[in-house]
Amino acid sequence: MIRPGRSLYSRIILVIAIVFGAGSLALGTAAWFYARLAADDAYDRLLVGAALQIAESIYAQEGTISVDPPVSAFETLSLSTNDRIFYKVLDPHGAVLTGYDDLAAAAANTGSHEPLISDSEYRGFPVRVAVVGRLVSDPVAPGWAHVVVAQTREARISLARDLTLKALLLVFAMTSLAFMGILFAVRRALEPLTRVERELRSRDPKDLTPLDVEIPREIQTLVSTINRFMDRLSGRIALMQRFIADAAHQIRTPLAGLASQVDLLTEETRPERKEQQLIRVRERTAELGRLTNQLLSHAMIIHRAEVAEFEAIDLTALARQTLINAVPLSLDRDVDIAFNDPPEPVLMRGDAVSLREALSNLIHNALKHGATTRLEVRVLAEGDAAVIEVVDDGPGIPVSEWQRVREPFHTQSATGSGLGLAIAGDVVRAHGGELCFRERSEEGFAVILRFKRLNEAPQLPTAGEAS
Amino acid sequence: MILAWKAALIIFTGLISLEIGAAEAAEKTVFPAPGGQETILSIHGATDLAAMDPLIRDFQELSPTVTVEYNEYLTNELFNRAASECDAKQGTMDLVLSSSADHMVKLVNDGCALNYRSAMTRRLPSWTRWRDEVFGFTFEPAVIVYNRDLVPSEDVRRTRAELIDLLRTKPEQYNGKIGSFDISQSGVGYLFASYDAHGTTTFGRLLEAFGRAGLVAGCCTTDLVSDLASGRLAIGYNLIGSYAVGAVRRGAHLAIVIPRDYTVVLSRVVFIPRFSRNPVSAFRFLDYLLSERGQKKSREASFFFSFEGTLPEEVDGPLWLASSGLLRPITIGPELLAVQDRAKRQRFLSEWRRSTHIEPEDR
Repeated sequence: MIRPGRSLYSRIILVIAIVFGAGSLALGTAAWFYARLAADDAYDRLLVGAALQIAESIYAQEGTISVDPPVSAFETLSLSTNDRIFYKVLDPHGAVLTGYDDLAAAAANTGSHEPLISDSEYRGFPVRVAVVGRLVSDPVAPGWAHVVVAQTREARISLARDLTLKALLLVFAMTSLAFMGILFAVRRALEPLTRVERELRSRDPKDLTPLDVEIPREIQTLVSTINRFMDRLSGRIALMQRFIADAAHQIRTPLAGLASQVDLLTEETRPERKEQQLIRVRERTAELGRLTNQLLSHAMIIHRAEVAEFEAIDLTALARQTLINAVPLSLDRDVDIAFNDPPEPVLMRGDAVSLREALSNLIHNALKHGATTRLEVRVLAEGDAAVIEVVDDGPGIPVSEWQRVREPFHTQSATGSGLGLAIAGDVVRAHGGELCFRERSEEGFAVILRFKRLNEAPQLPTAGEAS
Repeated sequence: MILAWKAALIIFTGLISLEIGAAEAAEKTVFPAPGGQETILSIHGATDLAAMDPLIRDFQELSPTVTVEYNEYLTNELFNRAASECDAKQGTMDLVLSSSADHMVKLVNDGCALNYRSAMTRRLPSWTRWRDEVFGFTFEPAVIVYNRDLVPSEDVRRTRAELIDLLRTKPEQYNGKIGSFDISQSGVGYLFASYDAHGTTTFGRLLEAFGRAGLVAGCCTTDLVSDLASGRLAIGYNLIGSYAVGAVRRGAHLAIVIPRDYTVVLSRVVFIPRFSRNPVSAFRFLDYLLSERGQKKSREASFFFSFEGTLPEEVDGPLWLASSGLLRPITIGPELLAVQDRAKRQRFLSEWRRSTHIEPEDR
């Protein structure tokens, strides 16, 4: 089922908007700081310039120090049109020569030409203060006279605000441009998806060939997954079609036989022949029943191979239980049944149901076609492999037939469906293992299932539950 | 009823002035609200009552419920009073107007004014306003005034250099007969003089010539103009043009000359103190002064000159003074703080005294 999540588009927009918002905020703050610095720098020059002009007008005459602040100094300061101006001039003894007496000289810079600039407050107005010194070389009272000039910050703030606003405008323009660009790009980027969708929708429902559209690398995985999925689907459908065809063929023959037997039975008048034919009908019916069971079990194995989840299995317990269930209570001949278990537990990951089915098929086959006197099931660990061997002393399968017997519906026997080995082969394949044979020797003929062994001991359900 | 109010008001202002401890002699005139008093607007100005009277009455036609008190000062007194009210952070002044722009600029610089913006204030040329706190509402050139009876028309000189020349060539005729502001007493006189001194070389020579000719110093334009009209003085230098035009219109036999080398132009300024008790009426009065109606009234009845109009016919000068190129307007801005500088002022005053031989009066 498809759950409707938030749209990809809106998700991208959200993330971008957050990034841009935070970015703009950071840039705006930085711009404000820089603008303030720039404004201070620009207007400080005027301030210091004016202070120097006033300092230049300090002169000493017969022991008296006087000052004559030039109009140009005030004109310089009035370049920042709306700002208030406060100033004072101190003689070397610290007496105020002119200006605002209560204007605080920031730090007393004694004996330096370097202007001193600081922020302060005067009469409740925040001001920028510049202090410059001037050496008065009067023989009577030599020393440093000082000029303190303060100016309110209005022009600075308005310049800083102006600069910041313009910077923000640029940031905003850039951001909106980038935003629009990204929206466009996202739309373009999502276009191949629409193309894939259109391609899939316009397809014939029976068409399971791989998609052939030009797609960007980023969604290649998606499309190849779709292709793989379709491939599997078409494989399964082919398998099922083949299976159905085979099964139909397999069932049709014994059914036709059964129908003619029944015809014969109805036309037969002799009681002893009738009895005989009735036995034949029963045999045929049982045969048909087994065939049907095997077909269904094969179908189940195929299905499970696709869907079953693997779990840790104790192979020994599984094999023993299967052997017990598989051997019928009565047999037409005496056969020795043996189970050979290893000293240590042999574990593997797999689907217990299909493994049991595979093994029981092998046991049935061995009892039916092979074993004359002896059947042995062995579980053993060979290094990394977990192995089950089914050994019997029957004639075995000749080497030339080994390949063929793994495919379904190829039996030499008239009574068998030939599905047993095919089922086992399918199961082994689904578990990533292999099915092989060992030629008849003194021991007998062996069918061998070889799986990958699970080494570390996991949380294992108790052996009894494996049944 | 109104009489009782007036009495109460007089007692009230008496108390305030006691409290502040200033002994400024302000002449107070009350213009009762014609439409029944609702508020009082207390205007403090260094402008003749005669000039303010028509403006105040015209204003009261628009705002008939405002009683206007007009207190008249000399410019320096007004400045001291306004500064001390500003320092004390309490006020009796709702609106201050003065011709000495430097004083007003200093008060504004020190944070004594209220900010006001309106369509009217925005219309002002940039040199007549600063910080949206102080506004110039008149356009008044500094002129040279001659008494037509004492000065024959061939002696009427139109530049400063020619005036110096006249005083040199005819000392016997004009010695003791030339008058100008006592710049230690008159703020506007000091402002004009410092503008003369700044940027021209003729001023030193002019002062010397004045000193030789025995300059008569007057406290204010009104006194000087009446001395000129009565014949006690023959030549008046740097007088405010509007007062001289007013005297001529009242019948005085005077020649008014716009100096042709350069003309200093003053704009009478107005600001509203931070501690004004009635800023709303003050803003309304300010808007009235700057409005077309106020400007028209001002041109017709009070100050005769205007930013845009032509010169009054009584004045000898270019018809369109504003575009004549002679103009040196006194820019209302922080530059005027230089004029107000204490050390500069002392220096300038002592120079002036040395040249003119006028000793400071006890003030």
